[in-house]
Amino acid sequence: MVRTEEMLLNVGPQHPSTHGVFRLVVKVDGEIIKEATPVIGYLHRGTEKLAEDLQYTQIIPYTDRMDYLSAMTNNYVLCHAVETLMGLEVPEKAEYLRVMAMELGRIASHLVWFGTYLLDIGATSPFLYAFREREAIINLLNELSGARLTFNYMRIGGVKWDAPEGWVDKVREFIPYMRNELEGYHDLVTGNEIFVNRVKNVGTYTKEDAIQYSLSGANLRCTGVKFDLRKEEPYSIYDRFDFDVPTEEAGDAFARYKVRMAEIEESLKILEQAVEQFPEDGKILGKVPRVIRPPEGETYVRIESPRGEIGCYIASDGQKEPYRLKFRRPSFYNLQILPKLLKGENMANLVTILGGVDIVLGEVDG
Amino acid sequence: MTAEENGKTPNEQTDAGNPDQAEELKADEAKQDHSQKPESVSGKAETEAKSEKDAKKSDKPAAESQSERNKTAESSTSATADDQSRKETAREKADQAGTKKTRRPKKKAEKEEAREELEPSPKEPLLKKYVSIIEEHLGEDALEDSFINRASKDLPTLIAHPGFYFSIAKLLKTHEELQFNYLSELHGTDFKEYMEVYVHLYSFSQKENMALKVKLDREQPEIDSLTPLWEGANWPECEAYDLLGIKFTNHPDLKRIFLGEDWEGYPLRKDYEPYDVEV
Amino acid sequence: MKGLAKGLKYTLKNMTQEKVTYDYPEEPLPLPDRFRGIQKFYPEKCIVCNQCVNICPTDCITLTGKKHPDPERKGRIIETYNINFEICILCDLCTEVCPTEAIVMTNNFELAEYSRDEFFKDLQWLDENDTNIRKEN
Ligand code: SF4
Ligand code: SF4
Repeated sequence: MVRTEEMLLNVGPQHPSTHGVFRLVVKVDGEIIKEATPVIGYLHRGTEKLAEDLQYTQIIPYTDRMDYLSAMTNNYVLCHAVETLMGLEVPEKAEYLRVMAMELGRIASHLVWFGTYLLDIGATSPFLYAFREREAIINLLNELSGARLTFNYMRIGGVKWDAPEGWVDKVREFIPYMRNELEGYHDLVTGNEIFVNRVKNVGTYTKEDAIQYSLSGANLRCTGVKFDLRKEEPYSIYDRFDFDVPTEEAGDAFARYKVRMAEIEESLKILEQAVEQFPEDGKILGKVPRVIRPPEGETYVRIESPRGEIGCYIASDGQKEPYRLKFRRPSFYNLQILPKLLKGENMANLVTILGGVDIVLGEVDG
Repeated sequence: MTAEENGKTPNEQTDAGNPDQAEELKADEAKQDHSQKPESVSGKAETEAKSEKDAKKSDKPAAESQSERNKTAESSTSATADDQSRKETAREKADQAGTKKTRRPKKKAEKEEAREELEPSPKEPLLKKYVSIIEEHLGEDALEDSFINRASKDLPTLIAHPGFYFSIAKLLKTHEELQFNYLSELHGTDFKEYMEVYVHLYSFSQKENMALKVKLDREQPEIDSLTPLWEGANWPECEAYDLLGIKFTNHPDLKRIFLGEDWEGYPLRKDYEPYDVEV
Repeated sequence: MKGLAKGLKYTLKNMTQEKVTYDYPEEPLPLPDRFRGIQKFYPEKCIVCNQCVNICPTDCITLTGKKHPDPERKGRIIETYNINFEICILCDLCTEVCPTEAIVMTNNFELAEYSRDEFFKDLQWLDENDTNIRKEN
């Protein structure tokens, strides 16, 4: 008879599979996880406190640093909140540029997830392919905004730059290229028996759990809830595009994988239409007062980021600085289900489950 | 506008570091200087930049009316608080908080007036329905107030009486006509006279949003936890506890989730003093 | 097994493709014009309006001005202008608000130094930093 004993194991704060500074205290009995307690806050920079002393335009670069893999959606949620509060109109061209930037960002973000997730569970080469394609997107966004990750591209009432010459054509060329590569990924990974065995029926939860735990994004859609804010509460100009909301029923890590891959395809569809409809002329900044002073009041808006539902609450007292600014950060909410998922799992599945949630620690800690 | 502002706030004139003043002064010079700019940029870029600046110019009236509106709205606001430069150290700011205290972020009376002028919101019947369901089940006292928040995409907003907060939330979640089963967001705010907890709920069956708020005593902020209803409220409540010091009773594991148990004070409170002002 | 074979096919196909990696630092990186490197400052263009100082989210710009030496001319000219590059987040807001384009971006991004003191960029340094200046500002 083998005598086993419970043991405490620290995963992180510095651990390659946590993709940032995230600590997980796991109590293991042999190979089985008895209990897992996430410890967060290592990257807490107090964005919300800092924002109380900053003007709205100055907060935009800070949002870049929350979810640094899809800074465009973060830019957008802040601008959208201020625009909603002030009732500003955004010119059509600016909206098209925003949508294209956001969708490119979404693809880039999913590619990073795809690459690193497979790296976590032991496949090296998909990472290289994913980053090759991501590099193409980053270059496009770099041309547009002047930075590779921290874009600071959107402004309240519009965007900073117009599309440089030939940029839209480059996006147009990128779409079939990406489609082709995506097919390659499916050949390389989706049908791979080892991969499927590794992720199927791992980290399964039900639809009820997902709603109960306030999950959003692919984490919610993998259980069959067809909910995407771009479709349900169309913001910006998303109501002009024809796209689908991919869902899966299984609720396991494989379902989340399939949802995200299908989302890349849908984003490409949106991009394709946006490129076709793109108005060459028009302003890129709406009628915005010189000093942005939203009226007194409060607003909460939510949009769909690659990780789920990102929200922004602003309480304004009529000053140039927000009285209170709060971001609903999807990774923070999505991570809550982790202890439940890990309980009773095999130690080797820890990384599969954690990676499947797709967190960005900058966003978890705010 | 410059004249008006100068008349109002004489102390501004000497203050070169003042952002507003500087920007107003600059408006004219900016135009001139822009046209004198060397033609080093490509033709396209030049026109683009111009149209952007033009856009800004034509916005001036809008800017004026905007700030005028604000001025009348807060005639009580003293000039010092209004023009407070963010260059000040945190300590100075804390001192000024005294003058700021009189201002309330929300003025209900004004809001009510404005609401009457406007057309009724399309969400008005929904709000009525929610209110009547709650009153039917929990009595007249359960709600302190209810209104449509137009600035937030016509969001039906209920302000709960603290004693009924949990039962209202439970009713909203379980009542078959409401079924607000998704908690989208929970956070607290320090409004100086009271603490507020804001809960944003979504109903998948109705496809409707709503906000539930509760006002708490600022000195002793304590309220029932919503975690027994929505597991998703767990960490957000910890966050509110960590940053604002709001106690959630019946919470399974209320901890200071970001800062650690030994952190002093609650940073998002308006009277929080960082111990090192420069950092 | 079929899945594995398919994957292998994709890998083999990629072996014949062109290399996409950069040969940096042997070859300089091709960067788009809008890329944000470190700022360039034109002292003669600056009108000491303080807008850049006010917009900077991290408060890393400090400047002082003085009266124009020529009593005939109105306005002020710049005396000192410093950017604490340790905390600059290259957000581009200072170059955006400057009405005279006295402060502009360059594409120079290789900024590693041995000492933190080196990151304190003064007027002279910023004035002499005149390569790869961004065309649109
Ligand atoms: S780029 Fe941004 S952080 Fe840097 S000096 Fe300019 S305004 Fe400040
Ligand atoms: S914004 Fe431009 S002109 Fe004004 S002080 Fe700064 S550098 Fe000088």
